[in-house]
Amino acid sequence: MLQDRIRKLFGDYDSAIQSVIAGVLVLEQEHISYKHPRVKDQIDEIITHTASKEAERLEKAKARRK
Amino acid sequence: MKLERITLENFRQYYGRQHLNFAKAKERRVTVIHGVNGAGKTSLFLAINWCLYGKSVDNVKVIDNVGELISKEAINRAGVGECVRAVVELAFLHDGRRYVVRRSLEGTKKQGGSLALNDTDDFTMMRTDEDGQAKRVSNPIGTMNAILPVNIRTYFLFDGEKIDNFAKPEASAEVKDAIYLVLKVELLVRARRHLEAIAQDYRKDLKQTSGGELRDLIERDENARKEREKAEKRKAELSDGIESAHRKIADIDRRLLEIQGARALQQQRDHLGRELKQRQSELDSLVNQIRELTTGAYPIVAKPVVDRALQILDEKRERGEIPSSVRKQFVQDLIENMNCICGRPFLDGSPEHQRLLNLMSSRLPGSLEDDVLDTSAALRPFDERIGKLRNDIDASMKRRTELIGLINELQAELDDVGRQLRGSPLEEISRLEKQRQEFRTDVESYNAEIGSLTERIKNLTEEIAQLEKDIGKAQKDERRGQLLSIKLDLAQRSADALGQMYQAFSDDMRVRIEAKTKEIFKRLIWKDSHFQDVLLGPDFNLEVIDRYGMFSRSDLSAGERQVLSLSFITAMSRTSEEEAPLVMDTPFGRLSSHHRDSITKHLPELADQLVLFVTDEELRDQARKNLEPRIGTEYRLEFDRKTSCTEIVEVNR
Repeated sequence: MLQDRIRKLFGDYDSAIQSVIAGVLVLEQEHISYKHPRVKDQIDEIITHTASKEAERLEKAKARRK
Repeated sequence: MKLERITLENFRQYYGRQHLNFAKAKERRVTVIHGVNGAGKTSLFLAINWCLYGKSVDNVKVIDNVGELISKEAINRAGVGECVRAVVELAFLHDGRRYVVRRSLEGTKKQGGSLALNDTDDFTMMRTDEDGQAKRVSNPIGTMNAILPVNIRTYFLFDGEKIDNFAKPEASAEVKDAIYLVLKVELLVRARRHLEAIAQDYRKDLKQTSGGELRDLIERDENARKEREKAEKRKAELSDGIESAHRKIADIDRRLLEIQGARALQQQRDHLGRELKQRQSELDSLVNQIRELTTGAYPIVAKPVVDRALQILDEKRERGEIPSSVRKQFVQDLIENMNCICGRPFLDGSPEHQRLLNLMSSRLPGSLEDDVLDTSAALRPFDERIGKLRNDIDASMKRRTELIGLINELQAELDDVGRQLRGSPLEEISRLEKQRQEFRTDVESYNAEIGSLTERIKNLTEEIAQLEKDIGKAQKDERRGQLLSIKLDLAQRSADALGQMYQAFSDDMRVRIEAKTKEIFKRLIWKDSHFQDVLLGPDFNLEVIDRYGMFSRSDLSAGERQVLSLSFITAMSRTSEEEAPLVMDTPFGRLSSHHRDSITKHLPELADQLVLFVTDEELRDQARKNLEPRIGTEYRLEFDRKTSCTEIVEVNR
C-alpha cells in the first residue's frame, strides 16, 4: 500500500518525528478535498501530545542520571 | 474501495425504488450497464457521485447544471403539500469493512406543481465494525476523504469521452495535480507547509517567553534567605547579649547594695529606676491617647467651613429667606379656606389673597426647609465640640511636657547617681559602676542594632514573598517554554523530514507512473510498434516518442489521446496500490474498433473493479467477446416512452 510506503520513508527518523508526521498525514488526508483546510489547531494538538511525552521522557532520563 | 450495490429511489428518471449490484468477483469484476442515449446512463453515473459527495464539497463542484434531482414522475404523482424524496444509497467495501452511505433530498409540492426544496440534503454514513454492528460514522466527509476524496474521484469515476485531457499539450499542470493527489505527494507538500507555518508560530511564542529569568530569581531568593537567616541569627545573639548584660547589671546592683559606701546610692537608683519606668509607661499611654484625640480632631479642620455655613444660614435668616416664619401648610390652608389669620374672609384677587400667594411662591419647598433647619441645628453644637476637643488635646500635651520633664529629671538624677558611684573613693564601687555603665552601653547598642536588623528582616521577608510569587510565575513560563521548545523542534524537524523525503518520493512516483503508463499504453494502443516510448519528465509533461525518436504527442489522434489518458489513469491507479473501482461513462464512444478491442481485452486486468456505462454500439462484436468472460453482472436501462421513466433490468446470464 502507498500509505505503508510513505510510512517507511520516515522509518529512519526518531519515533517522535514519525509519530508527528503520521498524525499530520492522516489529518491532511481527511482534509484533502479542501483547498484551504483549517488544520492548524489539530496539528498543534498532535505536536503538543508528542511533545508532552517527549518532555516526560526527558524528565525521567534526567532523574535517572541524578 | 469496491462498490457492492446502488439503490435509487425517485432519483431523476428512476421512479420508485430500484437497485443494481456491482460485480466484484476476482475473475468477473466487470459490470456492464447498457442504455441508448437518454436512457439514464449519465443519471446513474451522477447518482454515484451525488451519493458520495453531494452537489459540491468545499469549492469542488460535483454536480452542476443537471436540473432536478428528484423524479419528475414522483413530483407529478404527489398531491399538493405532499413531501417527495429522492434517495441514493451506495454500499461498498473498503479496507475490509462495509460502508453504506445514503443521501436524500426532499421537497414539498406547491400549488402549480413545482417543488419547494429543503435547503440541504441529508447524508449518513454507516460502517460495519468488527463486531458486525453497523455504526454511524461521525465524520463522514473526513472518512470519505480518506477513502476516495472528491478531488480524486475524477480519476476513478469519469466520462470516457472527456478523458483525453491528460494527453493534451497544455495538460502538465493537470498531470502534476493528478499525480500529487492520487499518489499522496500532495499530502507531503501540505503537511510540510503547515508544519513550517506552525513552527514559525512556535518560534514567535518562544521569543516572548522568558529566558534565564528563573535562574536569576532563584539565585536572588537564595541570597535573600541566607541574608535573613544571618540577620535572625545575629538578632538572637544580640538578644542573648542583652539578657546577659541585664543579668550582669542585676548582679552588680545586688553587689552594690551589699557594699556599705554604695548601698544608699544604689537604693536611690532602684527607686529612681522604678519611678522612671512608671513615668515612661504613663508617657506611652498618654502618647496613645493624644494620637486618638488628634485622629478624631477633624472638626477642628472643618471649623472654617462650618463657620461659613452658619454665617450663610444666618444671613439668609436675616433676609427672611429661611426659615419662613409661617409654615407652608399654614399658608396653603388659609388660601384654601379664603380666610385671613384673624378669621376675616377675603376675596379672590384681593390684596390679602395676593400677599398669601406671594408668600407661597417665595417659600422653599417644605422638606428642603426642614433640611436647612436640621443642618443649622446640627452645626450649632459643633463649636462646643471643637472647644472640648481642643481643651482635651491641650491638657494632654501639657501633661506630656510635664512627664518628659519628669523623665529628664529622673534620668539626670540617675546619671548623677552613676557619676557619684563611678567617682567613689572605693575602688570596687568605682570599678563595678564602670562595668555597669559598659553593660548599659552594650544594651543600648545591641537594641539599636536589633532595631535595624528587625527592619531588615521585615524587608527581606517581603522580598522573599515577592520572589516566591515571581519564581512560581517564571517556573510556569519556563515549563511552557521548555514544552514550546520541544514543540518547535518537533515541528521543524518533521517539516524538514517531509522536505527531504518529498522530492525523492515525488520523483520515484513520477518514474513509476512513467514506466506503468508506457507499459499500459503499449498494450492498449493498436499501433504499438509505431510508438516507442512514453515519457513523463520532471515538468510533468506526458510525451510520446515515435519510432523515429520524435516527440509525437501533438500528432496523436483523438482516440489515441484517449488511450494515452486512460493508460495514465490506470497507471496511477496501479501505482497507488489502493483498491479502487474504475467507473467509466461512455468509454468507447470515440474509439475505433481497433482500440475498443484492445481496451476491452486488457482493461479488466488493469482495474480491481470495472463499471462500464455503454451504448449497444460501443460494446459489440470482438469487444463484447473480449469482455464476456469478465462480466459479472449486466443491466439494461429500459426507458419507458409513456412515463419518461427508466427501469433497471438485470440481464440474465
